[in-house]
Amino acid sequence: MAAGTNKPLLSVRDLVVEFETDQGVLRAVDGVSFDIHAGETLGLVGESGCGKTVTGLSILGLVPSPPGRIVSGRILLEGSDLAGMDEVGLRKIRGSKVSMIFQEPMTALNPVFRIGNQMRDVLQRHQGLTRLQAHSAAIEILAKVGIPEPAVRVEDYPHQLSGGMRQRVMIAMALSCGPKLLVADEPTTALDVTTQAQVLEQIVRLQQEFGMAMLLVTHDLGVVAETCRHAVVMYCGRIVESSSIDELFARPRHPYTTGLLASIPRATEERGDELPVIPGMVPDLLHLPRGCAFADRCPKAHERCRQSVPHLDLLQSTRTSVACYEPNA
Amino acid sequence: MSARADTVGAHGDSLWSKAFRKFRHDRVGMWSLAVVLAYAIVALGVVLGVWATDWAEVSGPKWSPASVEYWFGTNIIGQDIFARSLYSTRTAFEVGLLVALGATALGALLGAIAGFFSGTWIDELIIWVMGVLDSVPFILLVAAIAYTLQGSPWAMHIAMISTFWIGTARLIRGEVIKLKSLEYVEAAQAIGVNRLMIIFRHILPNTFHILLVQATLSFVAAIKSEVILSFLGLGVKDGMSWGLMISESTFEVLAGFFNNFLAASVLMFGLVMAFNMFSDALQDALDPRTVK
Amino acid sequence: MEVLQYIVRKLIAGIPLVLGVTLISFVLIVYFGPDKTYELLGKNPTAEEIAEIRSQLGYDQPFTTRYLDYLREVIRLEFGNSESTDEKVSSILARTIPTSLALAIPGFILGNLLGVMLALVAAYFRGYWIDKFIMGFAAVGMSISFLIAIIGFQILLSSSDGLDLLPVRGWDTSTPLQYIRYVTVPTLATVFVALGYNTRFYRAVIVEEMTRDHVRTARAFGVPPAQLFYRNILKNSMIPIVTRIMFSIPVIVISGSLLLESYFGIPGVGKVTYDAIVTGDQPILKAVVVLTAVLFVVAQLLADICYRIVDPRVSLK
Repeated sequence: MAAGTNKPLLSVRDLVVEFETDQGVLRAVDGVSFDIHAGETLGLVGESGCGKTVTGLSILGLVPSPPGRIVSGRILLEGSDLAGMDEVGLRKIRGSKVSMIFQEPMTALNPVFRIGNQMRDVLQRHQGLTRLQAHSAAIEILAKVGIPEPAVRVEDYPHQLSGGMRQRVMIAMALSCGPKLLVADEPTTALDVTTQAQVLEQIVRLQQEFGMAMLLVTHDLGVVAETCRHAVVMYCGRIVESSSIDELFARPRHPYTTGLLASIPRATEERGDELPVIPGMVPDLLHLPRGCAFADRCPKAHERCRQSVPHLDLLQSTRTSVACYEPNA
Repeated sequence: MSARADTVGAHGDSLWSKAFRKFRHDRVGMWSLAVVLAYAIVALGVVLGVWATDWAEVSGPKWSPASVEYWFGTNIIGQDIFARSLYSTRTAFEVGLLVALGATALGALLGAIAGFFSGTWIDELIIWVMGVLDSVPFILLVAAIAYTLQGSPWAMHIAMISTFWIGTARLIRGEVIKLKSLEYVEAAQAIGVNRLMIIFRHILPNTFHILLVQATLSFVAAIKSEVILSFLGLGVKDGMSWGLMISESTFEVLAGFFNNFLAASVLMFGLVMAFNMFSDALQDALDPRTVK
Repeated sequence: MEVLQYIVRKLIAGIPLVLGVTLISFVLIVYFGPDKTYELLGKNPTAEEIAEIRSQLGYDQPFTTRYLDYLREVIRLEFGNSESTDEKVSSILARTIPTSLALAIPGFILGNLLGVMLALVAAYFRGYWIDKFIMGFAAVGMSISFLIAIIGFQILLSSSDGLDLLPVRGWDTSTPLQYIRYVTVPTLATVFVALGYNTRFYRAVIVEEMTRDHVRTARAFGVPPAQLFYRNILKNSMIPIVTRIMFSIPVIVISGSLLLESYFGIPGVGKVTYDAIVTGDQPILKAVVVLTAVLFVVAQLLADICYRIVDPRVSLK
């Protein structure tokens, strides 16, 4: 992690989340640990199904239960453990100290209430504002996220807004109570490319303006490169690599990270060149191999990789941690 | 919650083999199927003349209590309630099966035609017929059909079929509209395969899981409607049914004799409950969202 | 203004439906219905007398002429007089519809209200024993015949073998207490059976809404459960709920209580309809069928207007 003597804002330690299914217990998150310091952005990267979204949901106690359950681990926010907190305590934190925005702007807002109504609700609950105060606060924050004519738009229903606008409303709602941490789960994935860039830029600008920390959950390494200083790569519920962005792109240590990077399309590449794809398939979480989950797809795998799971260890004379017996030099 | 995520592993199986495997592991479903089969055997025995042949005979004293000779006692004129109950089981299956088959077949046919020709006058016409039949009070329709057929014993069956098909047709219509745009159907159309062939060979077979569930629902609805219609004098004309037994029993229960009422209602409840549970299990097993 | 236009447009769109229903009722009740010739004739009629009566009844006219005559009567709401009591059909309906409503409304309201409440509880605790218990209860309600429930409650509450608290049959609304005494058994039977279907239906609707993304969003912003259920789940479930309620109204007003009324001897529309079926009283049957169809069109309209109220995405266009 970024060197700093002060304590981290959020500290996740050995988080384990399991889902009960008809076929047995599925471990979606297996021993994940990371820190986020105040004002810092951490990227949480991986393919769909790797446990990154579940990790994000765990922070706010939103893992659907049943069938899901935080089995063990701690999620320390300024010292208090969110993993062990009851619903009443979590409700006070959700939307105030920690906010979350989701991937699907089209469905994430309640269709039968005006957006102003939904925003006021959050402000009145957490800030104790009156209806009128909450109303002007809502308009103010809508203007901040770049919504034109906020005083008019505040009376709209979600279906009257475009996807990009709706995602801005979500961001406005998330920022309205001045959270210390924003969990953003694929915030731009569902938007079209031009809107993606604008919304992403807006998030970064506001994050700096508000001085809040952010956990950016995404499958898109490009997004991570633009927004984060540090990133964690997940595969099959475990962290395989944790590193600064510059290091990650310059010298990916885990073979999986190498594969991920190689599959990003680049503008400089010749048309017609096929993108390299990581061979094989992501293993079934119910039947994970005994050793490293990536072993079957890994060009460097050997006997030891298939026998036992490598630990996430700090690589000598670097600031990168990697869970691999044969990390790239 | 057993309906969740039967997804991982087992790639490439058909919907049916997955559903079958899933159903076999559904204990409630298997038990309810066993109960339904037991009733079916009773009904089959009556059809083959193995038992309950003497259901119409006056063989004992009036209102005798349950005994070794008369397992469920006798009714007001001394007929054996047990034999009458068994015979009524046969009637229930006859009504249920005929109506379920008729209504499902009609619903499949008209629903598929409406869906295949959606947006044309054929579709409009079928939708109009469905709306009209839906707006006629059911009991009046039965009575009216009974008039038209001059008291035919099949009036009740025909009336039920002519309303029960609508629900199935609406579902099939929606499904066919979805299936119609699938590539292989469009391909078949493009190479000029006969339209009827497309409906029957390519589209309807893919709605069979819906039809099966709908048939079980129609079966239950038919048995339940029979009881009420027979009570009102609009149902079973000759023969014996649970509805007629209950109708007989309304005088008896106020006089404190419950055998007729209990025999008919408990037997009917058992079959309907088992069939409902069987239908639920079937839906779970066939639900593409849980089988994927 | 926009709403008024919409209403007119909707009512016009309902005309084919009502036409269809009149056609069916004409074909089944009148054209193929019982031949009234001999009821109106004396003994040993001559061939001329028969022919005269048949021409009076219009039996010698072609199908289309007879149907158009029938339609003309329907449009003018001239249903004539009952053939068995000679009372005007309109006055019979005016007298009996309030009785049917008084009988049906308590069971209807309780059945839906309790249904939604039980469904909310079951959905909230889905997968837990309380959900299984409620849904088991619903399955029992769905599997018991309405007739059996009626007789069962009658034995339980009105017979000397049961609690013997309430009248066995009949109807009396002279005082509120009498009304309650007579309406209780039919209402209990209705609620018991309707609850099974309603709870199941509403639970499915509510569970569907509970898994929506905006519910997760609301939770992520600290919305407490009570508010979550009201604002995010119940309000969004209103369209299927309203549809179900609206479309059961015509059935309740006109014929839904047919079994109850004929069983308990309650003088409502259902009883009148049943008697008309038994005696072949065509004017009454005609009126009941047409009225039901008109009510369906109105119910559709009301449902559409309710959708507009509960869901801003629906527009009256």
